[in-house]
Amino acid sequence: MKKFGILVAVAVGASLLALAASHNPADAKDKVKVGFIGSLTGGTSANGIGGRNSADLAVRLRNADPKAKYEYEMVSLDDECKPNIGVQVATKLAADKDIIAAATHYCSAVAIATVDTYHKFELPIIVWGAVLPDITYRNKYPEVHRVNGTMINQNQLNATLLTKLGYKTFAVIHDTTDYGKGHNKYFSEALEKAGGKIIGTFGVTSDQQDFTAELTQIKSLNPQVIYFGGLTPIGVRIRAQMDRLGLNNVVFDGTSGIKSDAFIEGLGKFAEGSLSFLEGAPTERLPGGKFFLEKYNAQNYPNPPEAYGAFGFAAMNLILDTIESQGPDRKKVRDALNKVRKIDSIVGEITFDDHGQNTVPIITAYVAQDGKWVVWEDSEYASGKRKLPGQK
Amino acid sequence: MESILPGAVALALATAYLIVLLRVENQNTILALLGVGIAAVLVANWLGWLAPVGRSFGEREDVLGLLAIVAAIVVASYFHEDHFVLLLLCTVLLYTVATLGLNVQFGYAGVLNFAGASFFGIGAYTAAVLNQHTAIPHLIVLLIGGLMAALIGCLLLLPVLRTRGHYAAVVTIAFALLLKTFLEVNDVLGGPQGLQVRSMNVLGWSFNNNIEIGGLRLSFYTSYFATSLLILIGAFVLVRRLERSWIGLNLDALRLDETAAGCFGLNIVRWKVTAFLLGNFLIGIAGTLQGMVVGFVQPNNYTFADSLIFVSILLLGGIGNPWGVAVATVIVVIVPEKLQVIQEYRFLLYAALVMMVLLFRPEGLLPRPVRSYFPGWRP
Repeated sequence: MKKFGILVAVAVGASLLALAASHNPADAKDKVKVGFIGSLTGGTSANGIGGRNSADLAVRLRNADPKAKYEYEMVSLDDECKPNIGVQVATKLAADKDIIAAATHYCSAVAIATVDTYHKFELPIIVWGAVLPDITYRNKYPEVHRVNGTMINQNQLNATLLTKLGYKTFAVIHDTTDYGKGHNKYFSEALEKAGGKIIGTFGVTSDQQDFTAELTQIKSLNPQVIYFGGLTPIGVRIRAQMDRLGLNNVVFDGTSGIKSDAFIEGLGKFAEGSLSFLEGAPTERLPGGKFFLEKYNAQNYPNPPEAYGAFGFAAMNLILDTIESQGPDRKKVRDALNKVRKIDSIVGEITFDDHGQNTVPIITAYVAQDGKWVVWEDSEYASGKRKLPGQK
Repeated sequence: MESILPGAVALALATAYLIVLLRVENQNTILALLGVGIAAVLVANWLGWLAPVGRSFGEREDVLGLLAIVAAIVVASYFHEDHFVLLLLCTVLLYTVATLGLNVQFGYAGVLNFAGASFFGIGAYTAAVLNQHTAIPHLIVLLIGGLMAALIGCLLLLPVLRTRGHYAAVVTIAFALLLKTFLEVNDVLGGPQGLQVRSMNVLGWSFNNNIEIGGLRLSFYTSYFATSLLILIGAFVLVRRLERSWIGLNLDALRLDETAAGCFGLNIVRWKVTAFLLGNFLIGIAGTLQGMVVGFVQPNNYTFADSLIFVSILLLGGIGNPWGVAVATVIVVIVPEKLQVIQEYRFLLYAALVMMVLLFRPEGLLPRPVRSYFPGWRP
């Protein structure tokens, strides 16, 4: 029976601990729950945690505001950047009737899989980081919105910037993944509208080593710009082989896929003058970036907000604004979100089109200058001090 | 004969614990509950209460098996309106089926398979394609999904038969990587973005509508749960019968010593092939239904890392013991989900838990008991 004596002692101790842990302070305001989903573990966890902290910041600021009608509680879940886990946590969030709206997903692969879940359970969401156009455009779900831009917006800016600089003829090289094909499609559409002309399109596989065949043909077509829709590794190879074939008087116009330090390190001086475009902007350059970073740093989060943190903040803030004005009701919040036009936020003006996509998202152009990616507007190329090949 | 009482009491306690664990959302309560659960098992072990439970499960398996089914139904009916919990339970059931398949390969015949998730994915993709383009009844699609997994598994037969140990493991890992790349570059199968899977529909009754019976609302996942449970029962009975039959004896002999088994005239190739294909068939069926439950397939769902989850379930539960597999799946699927409250640290804690188990119980939570040739017979 000695064993039982020890048992009883342990049980009493444990229940005392449990009692101590379970006291609740009284609330003055009504509690409203909102959700957040991002990749908090795995390869993209830095971005996910940055987004989570930023959304949390929006909630904390709102709760500190004495004028707020409700007290908010953010339920944040981890999708691990995996679609099957994503559907699971999305169901958890959406099936919980107490949760009124949510800011969700950094990973495109997860977001595209979960939009059906949100639609089925009628939970209004705002995507804060995933860039695949199909997330908003494949279906016309009233529940789904997005504050950040897509590769469509990226290519629109790309086409307008280059045609404005006086370039008329383009050759396109793209890899044959979804990423490359998407870029080819949206760039071609945007360029047609902007008045440029594509004189040749070449699909390459994403692990191709030798591009002599494509580049020789391109040389005979004599374009002013080579547009490249693909990722850094083959971007480096193509640019290096352009030099070998004497294609140095042509602008190398890339996408977000080559906006990496590895591109410049891999090419050395040949990277000079290459262009790339990225959704969002360096946080400090956003309209409300200074304000955001100040508040973010004041909270002493252990991790930085990362590139999309400001969008996480803006998405959550928009949700909180809408709940303040409409009350905690999913349907009303959903309808109000669909009517969002020209609302100011820290990432600039937000206007949702009929698919819930923000039509005025920020895209930033970068140019490689002296071994660094420099924002186009700040570069010596924009000021006229240096010139891209063939720039007027 | 051992009484069924200890087993039944343990089952009832486990069911109650599971319901409470699934119900609570408060962070401290969850952590406390998990702590209490672990402590309770340790204490029961220390007091020597687990041995009679094990004996009664060993000897009155038929009755306790029925009670386990009742327990599963009790848990499901308690949460009949709760979409999320039912989705989680479906995942538990289907992962159990898949791991039972792995158990036949790994636990009985000793054929290594580190591509479990790939065969799971083949099933899911089969469901996506067939539900989209054909009018084949969905219950038959389940069967076809299993057959497809077995059929594509045939590609691996030669390398698996020709290699042993680490090399066989590498062959299956290579297959997992190949399949993922194949799915990613294949436009017909949706490429890296994946495909939508139409929901299940049996005799004109769509599984994606909530059920209402005289004012009682049931989540639409209830029908998926019922189907998963039926499949699990079938798979469990099959695997258990297989183990006790002369086929199981042959497989065991094969695993323990291939050369000796060959010398005694066992056809090694035949039994390896049987175990490998049967295992893949079970994994494929589970994957097919899982595809329909989740409603979306993507190459990312079926990576090598997911195969490792299946393997870790098997190791955690105890290789060769179907009951262990069932217990381990509950732990592997539900604990990380409940640990969502501690956010990015949850895998740390979860990994630590798994490591502790492997360190202190290397044979798994419920090691496979000595084969009992006759029920109730003690050597």
